[in-house]
Amino acid sequence: MTNTLQAANEGRSSRLLGHVVLLALSAVGIWALSVRFSEGLIVTHLTQHVPWGLWISLYIYFIGLSAGSFLLSTLIYVFGMKRFEAAGPLALLQALGCLVLGMLLIWIDLGHPARFLNVFAYWNYSSVLAWESALYLAYSVVIIAELYLVLRPALARRAHSGGPLAGLAKKLAFAGEAEEKAWRSKAARWMLLLGIIGIPIAIGVHGGTGAIFAVVKSRPTWYTGLFPIVFLVSALASGGALLTFLTAISSRLPKAQKLDLVRSLGRLTVGVVALDLLLLGSEMLVVFYGGIPHHVAGWHQIMFGPFWWIFWFVQVGLGAVVPILVVLGKRTGNAIGPLAIAGLLVVFGIIGVRLNIVVPAQIEPEFATLPDAYHHLRFVRGYFPSGNEWLVGLGVVAIGTWLFFVARRLLPLDEAEQLAGDHSTAAAGPPPIHAKAEGRPAAAAGHVSSGGDL
Amino acid sequence: MAREENDTPTPQADAEPSSPPDRRKLLGLLGGGAALAAVASLGGCKTTSPRAEGAQTRRWGMVIDLKRCIACKACTIACKNENKTPPGVAYGVFLEEEAGTFPHVRRTAFFRPCMQCEKSSCSKVCPTGATYHRADGIVAVDYKRCIGCRYCIAACPYGARSFDYGHDYIADAKNGYNLIPSSEYGAAYGTRAKGKSPSGNVRKCTFCLHLQDENGDYREPTACARTCMGKAIHFGDLKNPEATCLVHGEKMQALLAKRSPYRLKEELGNEPAVYYLPA
Repeated sequence: MTNTLQAANEGRSSRLLGHVVLLALSAVGIWALSVRFSEGLIVTHLTQHVPWGLWISLYIYFIGLSAGSFLLSTLIYVFGMKRFEAAGPLALLQALGCLVLGMLLIWIDLGHPARFLNVFAYWNYSSVLAWESALYLAYSVVIIAELYLVLRPALARRAHSGGPLAGLAKKLAFAGEAEEKAWRSKAARWMLLLGIIGIPIAIGVHGGTGAIFAVVKSRPTWYTGLFPIVFLVSALASGGALLTFLTAISSRLPKAQKLDLVRSLGRLTVGVVALDLLLLGSEMLVVFYGGIPHHVAGWHQIMFGPFWWIFWFVQVGLGAVVPILVVLGKRTGNAIGPLAIAGLLVVFGIIGVRLNIVVPAQIEPEFATLPDAYHHLRFVRGYFPSGNEWLVGLGVVAIGTWLFFVARRLLPLDEAEQLAGDHSTAAAGPPPIHAKAEGRPAAAAGHVSSGGDL
Repeated sequence: MAREENDTPTPQADAEPSSPPDRRKLLGLLGGGAALAAVASLGGCKTTSPRAEGAQTRRWGMVIDLKRCIACKACTIACKNENKTPPGVAYGVFLEEEAGTFPHVRRTAFFRPCMQCEKSSCSKVCPTGATYHRADGIVAVDYKRCIGCRYCIAACPYGARSFDYGHDYIADAKNGYNLIPSSEYGAAYGTRAKGKSPSGNVRKCTFCLHLQDENGDYREPTACARTCMGKAIHFGDLKNPEATCLVHGEKMQALLAKRSPYRLKEELGNEPAVYYLPA
């Protein structure tokens, strides 16, 4: 009894610390943002050769996380993989939060942010970026609708039993729990429909974000047909990894059920990470075999340039090899802690992937001596983000994370997870004999394989 | 393939068959055809957002004779002067490259204005169509429409675009230098101020289109061509076979016929309007 009380106390104080750190970082970020908006992009270290830097890297990073999370949620709501069902609401919230962050970052990066609506007012059909702007909007509508459908039963329950947002739920006049159950089957059909609409949109959202770069023939490192596919695959990897991590640290499912879920998510994630490595290898083989100087230059910059360690340690080492080993490990692959860390490592490693996509391809100027043609800091070779760029990036991520955890607490995610969990065990058929059989991999593995056809 | 060359066929015109067809099939075919045409037109589009500015009968271009160029770089100074570009923004730049080991050394040097590509990458990727083709082939920027995303800079194979990060030569806004607006686009954007266009926009060489008269002909040649003391930069109309260089009077087509001219990065298919005569 005292033990649990102590644990609860510890949880509360660490949560408080988390809030303090996040709010402090957010405050710094807001200050940096105010400087950026009053001074303009002069506060960045972007140049005429590297017009896209840290903020664009973070933008594609969050769009990738969002698309990956959403595509994972469709495994549940479209392809009926019940064993992931408890992770569904979190995946959708994550998809929404990351999309908002991504859109915020590209907005901050504009030279005239106040004019962003021009994209819709003067839509240019041949621009991938214009298509993407439209897709992001459509995509956010789908996610919000899905999130509403998923949370509605739990919200209705709250309307009757109290809790945060109960007042709001009551105002929305949810019917009694019995009626909600009948409504639920209708909602499942809607979820299927929205998921089916959502899949091509999510593929368009992130494959298209990859295409923003892939269609640029002036930068040979970007200009390959594999590029949008690599974007999608790494999006799935990062989405799965974040979901693994967040489920591990925030889910309130029973322990055995939670381990099952985290393990399934972890395995799915490293599978996708392995596929990502395969695509990377293929791309590198073709580029280095061909040996066309401009193609090789970008990859040379990635692998042996001034930031070689991002590729070897962040992207490949910590972001791919280590997580794969952790998840495959007999002991580490069956414990929530290491699995959570493996997820976090992939999430972290994909930041390296995104930075390596955006920056090195631009370092080699269009003409080798272009940086010498004009003596000004905007014409120098190379790029390293300015202090303001770092602080804005960090601040925006902190604000996003803080808002996410607030939403996570306010919205009835635990109840929705619980409802989904009950539902999935009911639907999975066999009685949960292994409910307390954590640490018995055989039984747990049986459950894993019963779930799906992945 | 020829069908795709047509000016955007209206679906109605295609949808009038003589015999009553299976409607759904026809619609499917039409849809597929339209999609194909759209993809094909994306590959070869001349103008993504053409606007009726400039003379339809002209195609302004340059022939730069590198044998005459002495690498004095006066062209870049004239360009700065004419367009009053701020620090860090360069329309025309001069590129030099050295190769070989002493005493067998070689130097290549050339002036690089905007290529005013027929199939420009910049206008194709611009999300708002702020950068566009004029009827006379010049690629211009509508500063009021440009949101400053810099996609065009990433996409330009010639590095011919600059983002205006907001640097100034003289900080004091009341200084006489700052009271004179840039003459580009006919001084349409007024004096320079923080946060006001063209600050925060992408800028580029416009072949000094503010020097055109109301008929779209040049009152005087571009600043770079005008100032070139070696008479290396020829500027004129490439469409009319009889058109002459506005600075030195040679026939533009004859200049191209005599020596083997080349264009930069021809393999990318952008079809620049700037030709070089080898040194």
